Amino acid sequence: MGRRRRRRRVDPADAARALPEAIAALSQMLPAGPSPETFRRAKFDRPEAAPALWRLLFRVLSPQLADGASASFSLEAQVRSVKLALRTQGYPRRALAQLPDDGSQGGRELLLALAWLLARGPLPERLLTQNRVQLGDEMPVCECEALASPGPPAPSVEADGCVDIRHLQWLMGKLRFRWRNLMASQQEQCALLGKIHSYTRGCHSDRSLGHLSVTETELLRDPEGGRQLLRRLERENARLQAALQWRCRELVFWRWMDTVLGACPPEASQPTFLPRIPTPGAGELETLVRELQALQGELREAVEARRAAWEAGVRGRGPEWSAARTALREAVGRDLAALRRVCERGGGRSLAQLHGPHRLVRTEAGAPGGPGLRAPEVIEALRSREAHLEVVLRQLQGQCGQELARLVGAPPGPVWILPPGR
Amino acid sequence: MATAYVLLAGSSRRLVAELRDALDSCAERQRQLERSLRVCRRLLRAWEPAETLAPELTPGPETNEEAPSAACIPSPQDLKELELLTQALEKAVRVRKGISKAGEGDKAPSLKSGSIATSPATRASAPPSTSRRAGSRALETKPPRGIRQTRVPVKDLPERRLLSVGDQACMGQGAGATKPESGLRNEQIVLSAASQAPEAFTLKDKGILLQLPEAFRKAASWNSRLWAQLSSTQTSDSVDAVTTAKMQFLQKMQTTSGWPGSRLSATEVEAEVRHLQKACLLLRLRMGEELTADPKDWMQEYRCLLTLEELQAIMGQCLRRLRELCTAVVEQQLGPWPEGRFPRASLPCGGGADPIWSPQLLLYSSTQELQTLAALRLRVAMLHQQIHLEKVLMAELLPLVSKQEPLGPPWLALCRAVHSLLCEGGQHFLTILREDKPAD
Repeated sequence: MGRRRRRRRVDPADAARALPEAIAALSQMLPAGPSPETFRRAKFDRPEAAPALWRLLFRVLSPQLADGASASFSLEAQVRSVKLALRTQGYPRRALAQLPDDGSQGGRELLLALAWLLARGPLPERLLTQNRVQLGDEMPVCECEALASPGPPAPSVEADGCVDIRHLQWLMGKLRFRWRNLMASQQEQCALLGKIHSYTRGCHSDRSLGHLSVTETELLRDPEGGRQLLRRLERENARLQAALQWRCRELVFWRWMDTVLGACPPEASQPTFLPRIPTPGAGELETLVRELQALQGELREAVEARRAAWEAGVRGRGPEWSAARTALREAVGRDLAALRRVCERGGGRSLAQLHGPHRLVRTEAGAPGGPGLRAPEVIEALRSREAHLEVVLRQLQGQCGQELARLVGAPPGPVWILPPGR
Repeated sequence: MATAYVLLAGSSRRLVAELRDALDSCAERQRQLERSLRVCRRLLRAWEPAETLAPELTPGPETNEEAPSAACIPSPQDLKELELLTQALEKAVRVRKGISKAGEGDKAPSLKSGSIATSPATRASAPPSTSRRAGSRALETKPPRGIRQTRVPVKDLPERRLLSVGDQACMGQGAGATKPESGLRNEQIVLSAASQAPEAFTLKDKGILLQLPEAFRKAASWNSRLWAQLSSTQTSDSVDAVTTAKMQFLQKMQTTSGWPGSRLSATEVEAEVRHLQKACLLLRLRMGEELTADPKDWMQEYRCLLTLEELQAIMGQCLRRLRELCTAVVEQQLGPWPEGRFPRASLPCGGGADPIWSPQLLLYSSTQELQTLAALRLRVAMLHQQIHLEKVLMAELLPLVSKQEPLGPPWLALCRAVHSLLCEGGQHFLTILREDKPAD
């Protein structure tokens, strides 16, 4: 156990300082954070606090936007966007939806919304992570953002009308072509990275890294860019420090928020029935249910067959048999414990997998090296993953083939000659 | 003939949308790669010296953080003079280095007259500075000292220059003029600029000589220390107190809202669905493994059976969870919120359990290895996409084939097309032989 913190008597001056410090840390930690004075005004629902808080919420809820991009949205557009985002996340209070769209009111409600977001998850840390300055050449070791979806789906060009299946074939071909291009470009980039890393070996002040990354080399080639990078880095350092400060002072903030909430009039309960939200995942949900049901059906058949075969087979019954059975049951339970955890509610981390982007570092083969993942291990894991996925794909394709054969019918129908190599 | 190829509007919209999604994400990935490739290729060519100077002349667009020098924009003549000045300063640096290497004293007075008036860009004496640097890489104190010696006398020059420029000596001018100076303080950048020509700088030959600027090094190491601090888990009383306070706050928010119970937000539903999709894939994979395994003795056989039954139970759980989600979605009630759908935010890596990034390394030992790694990553991503598309295609196309009864040529053509899409990934086509009835 760590040593317990000694409880000092709280100095009133200390206590008085704690809240402003907490709020100052908060506003520095968040992008586009308004001044602490704005927060204070918001508690008393002063109208001049509202626009700044709307803008803050917009920035916080749309992390995919670049730093300056939010300026291109009008305040009204930002207000509407914030309302939509909060509703999507399940914000419980109706008062926010009833605030005017011109962003002139509602400081206190917005403060509550901000606190709600902060209470639900590590929002500032997540924002910091998403927008951090990347100094190294990074490669993720997981498949979480395998091919990141490009944002809101573009409105389909051919909204109406039927589509020719040959168009689908053409699109598939185009996709295959793009994949080939990607592969080629990726190989080239790795070759260039390898060269840059080996040409700059020994240059880095940090011995564990040993060589420069592309970003670092680029900053040497282009001093102006280097200065910008340095400024961004310094800004990020300031925000990281504020985040650490915030952690120390957080409790005071929550006590204060309680008072803010207390100052709000309670909302009347709303019994009316209103139309359903078109949840984005609804279509996917149904597809998944169908898929899982099909899978379950397959499995049930297999299990029944095997169970019957087992029961029918003659096996010795005896004391050693039941002991063995219990042992096997336990072993299977342990085996699948991890899988069970993943499938259970709430998810959490994937099966003992490493996550996140890692900085690429070139070392001599066989060098002991310090902490860090080794490429051969990752390659192994990826190979087995690839093999598994190929199996799944083949299975699916096989199912389709069988189904189609069934539909076409047995001879004397047409004879299908499969393409060679199958 | 053509009519058979046509799909119904509903399913075609979904199929086309999915394919376009896939195409778009490939294109985005390609764009990112190309950006990176451009940078890498440029780095591996000879570095252009001119580029390093030009940015120093004009105050950059990010000056909103520095003292705004917006009022004065240097005139073209001033810019030209500034350029001359910068070149002169660089030459001064080189001369100074050459002088201090020889161990002689200050030559500041001689610099005043000569270099300023004479024009341009003779950057000679690349070798002395580079060899000096190569030699002194181990003793890092020497180059900075060499530069600092030059800094003091050279400082006179910009000021003198400013006075003689005339009545346009305003803030902007001052800001502009100090930039080359601050560039000087940044030893390595100037040295690398100075050592560039007449032989251009290539990474291949002289990459080893590079060194990161001091300010940057400090900021970078502080940065990684801060990240490490932030991502280290804390266990203490205060953390629990904070968590309790947050829970209480959320509770109060819920109870004062007037809406009954806790409902699932759209984001949560989406997150659950994605999570269960992953679980489904894992279950499928494990099931496949067990089904294709070849038990050698009765113990293994029994173990296989038990595993399959356990998988069945887990699958049942997942289905139950899914059905709960379905009913929850159906029962959602809408408040006075605006319609529409917010663009799907990307989930944090690892399911959000630990969203804070911490500095981690991936060590590789040869270009070959790196290429294999990257290729495998791409391949796995591609397989994920293919599997997803396969499922979508299956769901939409198979019913289509089964709906159309007549075994005429149009229908066969459709079957052939569907078969190719579903079973061959659109790459191969099968041949259909048909016995034609005699002359009709």
